Parts: sequence; structure tokens; C-alpha cells
Amino acid sequence: MASTIIGAGITIEGEISTDEDVVVAGTVRGKLTAKEAVTIEHGATVEADVQGGSLVVGGSLTGNVTAVERVDLQSGSRVIGNLKAARVTIADGAQFKGNVDMDV
Amino acid sequence: MASNVTIIGKTTRVRGRVHGPGDLEVQGFVDGEIVVTGDVTVALHGMVGAGIRGRRVVVRGAVKGDLVGDEAVLLEDGARVVGDVHAPRVAIGPGALVRGYVETGEGGAAPARTARVQPAVRPAVAPAAVSHTPERAPAVVASKPAAAKAVEPPARAAPAAASNSGPRRPPPLVVPVLKGAKGQIAKKRER
Repeated sequence: MASTIIGAGITIEGEISTDEDVVVAGTVRGKLTAKEAVTIEHGATVEADVQGGSLVVGGSLTGNVTAVERVDLQSGSRVIGNLKAARVTIADGAQFKGNVDMDV
Repeated sequence: MASNVTIIGKTTRVRGRVHGPGDLEVQGFVDGEIVVTGDVTVALHGMVGAGIRGRRVVVRGAVKGDLVGDEAVLLEDGARVVGDVHAPRVAIGPGALVRGYVETGEGGAAPARTARVQPAVRPAVAPAAVSHTPERAPAVVASKPAAAKAVEPPARAAPAAASNSGPRRPPPLVVPVLKGAKGQIAKKRER
């Protein structure tokens, strides 16, 4: 139950900031800052730096990611950018190019 | 799950343009132009700081910018709009506050689709005689009456106008998005 949803087909060019969960099924270009979970669904396109409590990517993401808890790249996702989070998982079948920075 | 509906949640702030197909509901704040092919709803505590274009535009929150509806613009209780309104059908319900030029009809914004009777275009400056009516009639969702009501003189929104009606609610809170709008209105009236 996300409180902010970017529907499929909708494009937001600019900055999004929120205290709530965000689900992106459309396109976001710019910057995305959330305090809670961010979900980039399969078919969605995000060209933005993303900050969030956690991040799940099923779609396409270009940009640097900073998450407090975790980042999960699902199978079929395509991510170009650096990931910084306490935990990072990259599923088999995910495409990824970038640095991973975990709390070691 | 999240299909074609876009929701800008209560604590969400968007600075930038929102466009594309699908419906949009603004419960938070959007400071940027909204252009969608579906319906746009600005919820009770939602605010939009720029123009909105959609098929049906329903406003219960605050908008500073022009509203263009391809089918209709419905301003309901709680709506505070500073800007022009243009749609084939415009409804301003009781409790909605508008400052701006309102025009019904298909010209300009929406290309003519039907051979419907063109509603008479009222002059932007309506006679000031309307102000003595104590209570506005309930909302009428129709082109002509809505237009007539819509072009009530902007003076109605002034604090002085509130004195003549007994059971009226107090004026709404001043919303940041509406501040500094007076200059803009003055400019529009000069045209």
C-alpha cells in the first residue's frame, strides 16, 4: 500500500520528495527522495538519483542509489549507477553496472 | 498493482512537470505543470502551484494556475483556485472559491467534437449587482448557469463581501500557494 504511485505512462520531470512509500510504474527523471520504501516496478524507467529507506528495482534505473536499509535488484532489472546501502542483493538475471558500497 | 493511476501522496512534494496518459490524484504538493490525458483530482489538502490540463479536472484543494479540461472542470467544496478556467463544462459548487476568468465552450482548449450549442461567452467583467444575493444556489452542473455564476465579480472573494451573509462559513485559511496572487490577477484583468 504505497501512498505515492507514479502510474505507468506518467512522466515526472523534476524532484520528488516524500515521507511515504513510493511506487514507480512510469517514468521519473530528476531526483527521488523518500524516507520509506521505494519500488521501481518492472517496465518503469527512472533516470534519477534515488534516496530511500529501502529500494526494490524491477525495472530500469540509471542513477546513484543511497538506501538506509537495503537495495534489492530483481531479476530482469537493469541498473546503471552506484549503490550504497547496509545490504544489497542482486538477483540472478539482473543487469548491473556500478559500484556497491555496503557497511562491511 | 499500480497500473494507470498516479497518486501523489499527502507528504509528497513534486517540483517539476507531470505528464503522460492516465489519471492523476494529487493529495500532496505539485509545483509544476500537469498535463495528462486522463482525469486529474486535486484532493482536499492537495495543492498545485501551476496549470493543470486533463480530461476531467476535479478540484477540492488549492490551485494557482490555469485549469483546462477537455471534458469538464469541476470545482467542489474546499476548492481554492487562482487562475483561469476553461472547459466545455465548468461547475463551481458551493464552497468553492475562484479568482480568474472562466469560460465554457470548446474553443481553444478542446477542439470541437460535437455540434453542441455554443454557450454564450460572458464578458470578463460582470456587473457587480450579484453581490447582494445572500446565499449562492447549489451547484449546477451545466454549461450556461455555471458560466454565469463563474463570472461573478472577483470582489466577491474580498473579505468585505463576507459580511452580508449570515450562515456563511468563515473564510478559508490563507494558503501559501495563493499568496502573492493579487498581482497576477490584476495583470490578467488588464488584458
